[in-house]
Amino acid sequence: MRLLTPAALVAATALLLSACGTTENTAAAPSESAAASGPVTVTDARGKAVTLKAPAKRVVALEWGEAEMVASLGVMPVGAADVAGYNVWDKAAPLTAEVKDVGKRNEPSVDAIVGLNPDVVIIADERDSTLVPQIEKYVPVVVTKSSDASRNFDRLREDFKLVAKTVGKESEADKVLSEMDAKLAEGKKAVEAKGAAGTPFLMADGYLEGSTVSIRPFGKGSLVSDTAEAVGLKNAWTGKVDPQWGLGQTDVEGLTAITDPKTVLFYSASEEDVFTTGLAQNAVYQRLPFVVSKKIHKLDAGTWTFGGPKSIIMTADQIVKAVTA
Amino acid sequence: MTTKVRGTSPRRGLVETVRSPQTIRTAVVSAGLVVLIAVLAGIHLTQGTSTSGPLDVVKALFGQGDAQTLAVLEGARVPRLLAALLLGVALGVAGAGMQSVARNPLASPDTLAVNAGAHFAVVAISAFGLSLPLVPVGGAAFAGGLAAAVVVLGLAGGGAASPRLVLVGSAMLLALQSVTVLLLLLFEEETSGLFAWGSGSLTVADLRATGQMTPIVVLAVVALIAMGGKLDILALGDDNATVLGLRVRRTRVTAIVLTVALTAAAVTVAGPVGFVGLSAPVITRLLLPIAKHRALLPVSGLIGVVTVLGADVVLRAIMGSADAVRVPTGVVTTIVGAVVMVWLARRGRGSGSRRPAPAGRVGVAGSTRRLVVISVVLVALLAVVPVVGLMLGDRMVLLGDLANWVTGDTGTALTFVLDQRLPRVLAAVLAGAALAVSGCGIQSVSRNPLAEPGLLGITAGAGLGAITLITIVPAVGAWSIAGAAGAGATVVFLLVYGLAWRSGLDSDRLVIIGIAVWSAGMALITLLIVVSDPWNSAKALTWLSGSTYGRTLEQVVPVALALLALTPLLWFKHRELDLHALDEDTPRVLGMRIERSRLVVLAASGILAATAVSAIGVVVFVGLVAPHLARSLVGGRHGRVVPVAAALGALLVSVADTLGRTVIAPAQIPAGLVIAMVGTPYFVLVLWKTRP
Repeated sequence: MRLLTPAALVAATALLLSACGTTENTAAAPSESAAASGPVTVTDARGKAVTLKAPAKRVVALEWGEAEMVASLGVMPVGAADVAGYNVWDKAAPLTAEVKDVGKRNEPSVDAIVGLNPDVVIIADERDSTLVPQIEKYVPVVVTKSSDASRNFDRLREDFKLVAKTVGKESEADKVLSEMDAKLAEGKKAVEAKGAAGTPFLMADGYLEGSTVSIRPFGKGSLVSDTAEAVGLKNAWTGKVDPQWGLGQTDVEGLTAITDPKTVLFYSASEEDVFTTGLAQNAVYQRLPFVVSKKIHKLDAGTWTFGGPKSIIMTADQIVKAVTA
Repeated sequence: MTTKVRGTSPRRGLVETVRSPQTIRTAVVSAGLVVLIAVLAGIHLTQGTSTSGPLDVVKALFGQGDAQTLAVLEGARVPRLLAALLLGVALGVAGAGMQSVARNPLASPDTLAVNAGAHFAVVAISAFGLSLPLVPVGGAAFAGGLAAAVVVLGLAGGGAASPRLVLVGSAMLLALQSVTVLLLLLFEEETSGLFAWGSGSLTVADLRATGQMTPIVVLAVVALIAMGGKLDILALGDDNATVLGLRVRRTRVTAIVLTVALTAAAVTVAGPVGFVGLSAPVITRLLLPIAKHRALLPVSGLIGVVTVLGADVVLRAIMGSADAVRVPTGVVTTIVGAVVMVWLARRGRGSGSRRPAPAGRVGVAGSTRRLVVISVVLVALLAVVPVVGLMLGDRMVLLGDLANWVTGDTGTALTFVLDQRLPRVLAAVLAGAALAVSGCGIQSVSRNPLAEPGLLGITAGAGLGAITLITIVPAVGAWSIAGAAGAGATVVFLLVYGLAWRSGLDSDRLVIIGIAVWSAGMALITLLIVVSDPWNSAKALTWLSGSTYGRTLEQVVPVALALLALTPLLWFKHRELDLHALDEDTPRVLGMRIERSRLVVLAASGILAATAVSAIGVVVFVGLVAPHLARSLVGGRHGRVVPVAAALGALLVSVADTLGRTVIAPAQIPAGLVIAMVGTPYFVLVLWKTRP
């Protein structure tokens, strides 16, 4: 204590002396960028009308799907959450090294977000609902729906158009969406030409921890399921799924609900591959129809199953190729 | 299926010494257990997520099954059953062994933090992407578990039936869990499946892990049973054992290594399955009160199997197999185990009131000069630390900025940064003070230097209340969350208090029941999260580990009000607190209405802890560390301890919060986890200093 007190006092004084001054030049108002076009008003997923002085140029996107949408419209976000993770899991529209990391997706740093002086912050519904009113006092916030298992494709279009209007890239959005539609139509035609229309599929990812395994099937209404159904396939998973993402949960034994010998398995694993390492020797797994017929397709690393139109195109390509091969 | 189990039952011993009634009783109990296990195993095999029903299974068992059912049995149900058998035997025997070594009926893989140590090691390997083959994972689990056990037993000072062992182990468990949760948060994708696994899961992929761990378990069980005679002698006490020619140290070390190996094997297969090792030997002792170790160990193994299998069978029968997939088996066993622990604590004799006051060896440092110096320093720090907290973070800010902000001259971005930083700094300061004052009250009336709101289950209750409300109504206001946290804390507090009450309140009983309820509360929170929102574990984990993220001024108000109202109340009662801390009889002799006073103090402490939880989530250690530190600075008198502890608690949480927001920015570490990491070394120091 006798030594600590003076030391603490000296340290405190030093800190106080060095901490004087300011970090910003309050005279200049940095957010006044020359407005090329007039103000835009968008109605976001909350039903709230958000008005921007001009289409946003400096965008911060806090969920990967939304970051992908922004990037795929030709606008590189100035900030995104967990950029390193994004570039592992979503390769549909890579973020450049200039995109600043604003922290983890579950707790993005508000300091970093406002430090980037953005024109708009795009936040997915559900995540960070307490954050929205706080940020909104200073920066306009646009909330996307992010997922809705009852109408995921329409939801995707709405979210994408919302994002596009926010950044003033509506014609680009139409182009990307028609590219997506064309890809899906073309894929559907190819699938039909092969006589593969109506092929049942199971889409899943899985985790192996220690020696225990859990499997997460993408049920009807999940975005990847909608994609596969759009090219003419049929989701074979009928188990219980959650209403937002369309995700279920099961174990190996639960997969025996899949009985149609024509069923194809798609799975995503950007890191550990449960299906080849954990389950390969399993008796139940070996008898599953898609294992017997060897109709198993691992989606390429970086195929994000909760992404935007570019991710849909990437997924559809792989599904069509697998079924028509 | 039962041949494996039968191998570990004491058949040979039975034939040799069939005379005594105790042996006959052991034989009857073992036979009954084997039959029960056979029945449970039969039911277990018929449960599952596929369509193969009981009839298919029966046919398959008689060699007439269809190929599908055979595959399901081979690939899913038999591995699950064997994993359950292995876990039950390993944890049951390990628990019995640990209780003997520690000579304490509350010792177990959970309360000695062996489970937590092994779990931490496995999560660390996964988080850092070291995808190793299974045996090294088992090795890491063993090393982690052994390290935890050695530290806990070392700090507990021999154990010898003291509840201190459980306190030390539980604190170590808290610390290890905090670091494990930190890894889960920082590596959300890499460890996404580990959240549920952290509570113990039986959905094994195949027989590989079970197969690899079986020899270890069999060898360790056989070795422990072979040591049975030595363990019997050890139970007579170290001195007696030495006189009888036993090499005490060697016996103890060997037994610890064997029991840790058993626990590590179980964790490697299925994650930490809670409280099986605690409840199995307790139940065994109920059935066979004077059993020697040659009977005690194997029968505990059988009871362990009954516990694990029973939990799994009941869970799947109630929820249906498809939904039960989400619920870790360990959640159920933890709740079962907590009930056993409470029962055990209620049954045990009170430890009397011979233990020294919390002041312990710290002594009374009563000099006024010292008090003045400390007060001045604390006040200065209380002024400086929050300001520094406002300045540091992802974006550094200088004093001139703060001055501008106060006068309203900052730009939009900076105004925002500081506006949202202020509630966080305030939440940290106020919640820290509230937890510290709460800790003072609880340590005094429980006369237990290791008690705190977390270990009494109060924070877990508050967390359970808040999480329940958030689950039902996602976008709920701050006052409702504070209310729910308060309600949860009250219910749990009344539960703990009521259960601990048996013609008087024994402080050890209070704490041990608190720990049991705390474990059950955490298990229920896990259950709630995995059932309601399985894909958003990160958010719940953040909240549960104590965070100031996204706080608003409105959320800070409840804790501020509680502090304003209750700190003076406790301070005015400082003489009562001094008397409580002394012993059970003095206050009575002096005519104090001891029970009423105790209830008022505990209620005030509970409310303070609950509002703190509603402000920053479940934060442990502050209520423990701050009063201790205060006593070491200004002596044991509560008139001084309460305000000093409040200041220290505020400083501690504020510094932890600032560090968490700054060190790995833009990512952040929840304040509660920083405190656990900073608090654990200090706590270890306290334990070391107060060891008997």
